[in-house]
Amino acid sequence: MAFTKIEDKYVSQKSHIKFHSSTPLEDIEANNYKAVSTVDASTGNVVFSVPMQSFEFEKALMQEHFNGKNFLSTKKNPKAKLIGKITNLGEVDFTKDGTYNGSFSGEMTIKGETQPITADGKITVKEGAFSLESTFDLTLTDYGIAFKKGKPSTNVAKTIEVTLIAEYAKQ
Amino acid sequence: MNKKKKKLILLVVIVGMTVAASIAAFMFFKPHRDVQSARTDLVISANEYLSSADQANEKYLDEAGLSKILEVNGLVHSITEDYNNQMVVLIKSPGADAGVSCTFTIETNASAEALKVGQLVRIKGVIRSGAAYDEDLGLFEHVILDKSDVIK
Repeated sequence: MAFTKIEDKYVSQKSHIKFHSSTPLEDIEANNYKAVSTVDASTGNVVFSVPMQSFEFEKALMQEHFNGKNFLSTKKNPKAKLIGKITNLGEVDFTKDGTYNGSFSGEMTIKGETQPITADGKITVKEGAFSLESTFDLTLTDYGIAFKKGKPSTNVAKTIEVTLIAEYAKQ
Repeated sequence: MNKKKKKLILLVVIVGMTVAASIAAFMFFKPHRDVQSARTDLVISANEYLSSADQANEKYLDEAGLSKILEVNGLVHSITEDYNNQMVVLIKSPGADAGVSCTFTIETNASAEALKVGQLVRIKGVIRSGAAYDEDLGLFEHVILDKSDVIK
């Protein structure tokens, strides 16, 4: 088991966050390339800040609904935030090239609602930099996003899959 | 009800349904806003903008995501590429805490590629988020402009 003693913080300005909603009626996907993230290799602290209006949908109307008051209310809540820690930091060596399995535990804040979250991911270290990849599920009602009637209630899944990848370099 | 009247009602119903379906289809398939051909809401320098960043989200973001279209003047600090093969030009003055991160599109990438670091430039795009210091990140986050292109 390798223990890292790096004091430096790593910053990612290059990322891709995708969410996927699947129902028998419709598959909906949105992509965001503007999240900023930091990983502190000495403490395992991970932070993601996601500008919500940067989510791009195939259909313009869907994007407008997503941003609107009944869904994410992005004018009032322009950013989502993920804060937590790599819980198996001892198993990740940020100084040695290789691929490591990471576990994450923390809190996600979307639309002003904060919920606990755990996720597994893959950290690929190469030449002093690394990338982080992870996939996890989010339940929309946990964040106060619920549809009782109309098209969104049948066409938007109750649980959506989030995939993220981010590339980090030393600050 | 006579036959003629029935026919008329049927016709009105069919026309009505067709119009409703057309409107619904138009709404459902309506294209994204073309930021580059849309009117610019505000021309501003990166520094001028950043001094009022705290109010930016309230002032410039729109409830349906159809936020303000800005033209920002400033110096090119870096030119990179994102995971979607779109060029990203950061406009930032030397010594400034934050800048304006402008993401181009596949159609406008070439104009970003032609830029040089240190060059004075004016870029038009739609604002997605204002700049602010984020305590959790321990960083200043840049203003975000999407669908950008260089204004010559």
